[in-house]
Amino acid sequence: MENTAIRVRELRQRYGEFEAVAGVSFEVARGELFALLGTNGAGKTTTLEAVEGHRAAQSGEVRVLGRDPYRERRAVRPRLGIMLQEGGFFADLTTAETIDHWRGFVEDPRPRDELLDLAGLREQAGVRARQLSGGQKRRLDLALALTGRPEVLFLDEPTTGMDPEARHATRRTVAELVRDGLTVLLTTHYLEEAEQLADRLAIMHRGRVVASGTVAEVVGGHGDRVRFRVPPDVPVADLPVLRGVAAGIEVDAGHATATYTLPPDDLQPGVYGLLRWADERSLALPGLRVDNASLEDVFLSTAGAES
Amino acid sequence: MIGTRAFPVHLDRVLLTRVARLEARLLWRNRTALFVAAGMPLLFVGMLVPMHGKRIQGVDAALLQGTGHLALFLLFAVFMNLATVFTTRREDGTLKRMRGTALGDAEILGGSVLTATVLYMAQVAVLAVVLVAAFGGRAPADPVLTLAGIAGGVVVFALLASVVSGITPTTELTQLTVLPVMFACMAGAGVMFPLGVLPEVVQQSLRALPLTPVVEIVRTGYFGRDFTAHGVPPAVGVGGGWVACLPSFAILAAWAAVARRLAARAFRWDPRRS
Repeated sequence: MENTAIRVRELRQRYGEFEAVAGVSFEVARGELFALLGTNGAGKTTTLEAVEGHRAAQSGEVRVLGRDPYRERRAVRPRLGIMLQEGGFFADLTTAETIDHWRGFVEDPRPRDELLDLAGLREQAGVRARQLSGGQKRRLDLALALTGRPEVLFLDEPTTGMDPEARHATRRTVAELVRDGLTVLLTTHYLEEAEQLADRLAIMHRGRVVASGTVAEVVGGHGDRVRFRVPPDVPVADLPVLRGVAAGIEVDAGHATATYTLPPDDLQPGVYGLLRWADERSLALPGLRVDNASLEDVFLSTAGAES
Repeated sequence: MIGTRAFPVHLDRVLLTRVARLEARLLWRNRTALFVAAGMPLLFVGMLVPMHGKRIQGVDAALLQGTGHLALFLLFAVFMNLATVFTTRREDGTLKRMRGTALGDAEILGGSVLTATVLYMAQVAVLAVVLVAAFGGRAPADPVLTLAGIAGGVVVFALLASVVSGITPTTELTQLTVLPVMFACMAGAGVMFPLGVLPEVVQQSLRALPLTPVVEIVRTGYFGRDFTAHGVPPAVGVGGGWVACLPSFAILAAWAAVARRLAARAFRWDPRRS
């Protein structure tokens, strides 16, 4: 059995003049959770729709479980679970009725009670869809996507609109499913969600992948930061150069803040150099802090910088 | 995005009936739609009462109009009902959600069509019984011909409904966008009054309406007389009705072909807001 669940190569999608996806490539291995991150309009949902088989790839190649998800939808679709960003419900059906009808649409459905538990909606089994809260609807969404015991699950911003508790429960559910061997392709606005769940991720911006890899790899390329407020009696020009990196200076309300952005390997010697420099001059460095780069830093510097 | 792949032909009968059951349940829960689809025909049956006893085109006026209603009910149970269903499902996102399952497009849309067809056929059956019981009607002379006309009508009006839903932005607006077809067919298909009273040119153009051939075929099959002709329709022998109705079937087939092409272009799966 092929170990690659999803393969996307040089995918391009246009809407008229606008190129929403401009040559995206990535692979997702079986049993892996892969996150697609990006600002609104980065091309995540368009990419996802091509992978789900909702639209044909205009150019490039998309393979899911070794097949073309659009042309061979009939063969692929039963093995996929899809949680849309905005899927509607039949407003007049109850939770249990919705699940029951859905179970009729797949070959080997999970039992109704198991799905109610997955959704955390056992007590809402008799409530009509129109009366469910936004977060409860998202949970029902997830349960419906899992009805047919899919091998590959697509989650398009699954926890948007959930309260923190439901978000936590959903993430735990997804993590358990991945542990049991499910392959997941996830898009999300919540970086901590990707940090927590994703084996690997890609950051998209303006239709392109601008960074990809494991969280450590993506973050690792972006440097750690040493920061302190410049003491009033120290001229900025006298600040040391650490491992070849000069201080970046920001002035805010009369206070200057120095920031050194160091590659991970240079962090410890860099900090040592700074402390020795301060020690020799008997200087206190107010507000001194050392931060590892976070996914948010990477995200903001790649995707967020221009928007 | 959808192009000509909007209506692939693969159909799984089990899945189709499951979608149809879902549709039936939803129709039952939506009392407004249920009334329009199922209640309106009752009003039309009531209109037959004062006509009983008069004779038009050599048959009882109530029977003539009643057989027209057999075709006319397509407009409510199939055309208007499905245009509303397709638009609503698209706009509330359930069409796209169903497309995210293993269901094929033909099963998703076909399930709705099946439910609408069952509802329509139930109305046809009830009306046929009423015609016999209350208006001196008879068993159709050629039931297969009548059913063939009815089946052709279902195909054409289901396709027209999918076209109309494609150009209708919201559920509410369906009530407007179905009107041109509804009015034209109600007024001009020979149900409300015999087309024979109109000038020849107008008659011929009204025969091109999608409902007119259904009315002609249903009546020809029911009375065993050629209702595509004018004046008092001549009786037809075994199989003669089919020959007489060939032009009507041709018009229906043309409508089906045109509507299918238009549907492939106009029909949408995704809500308009996105």
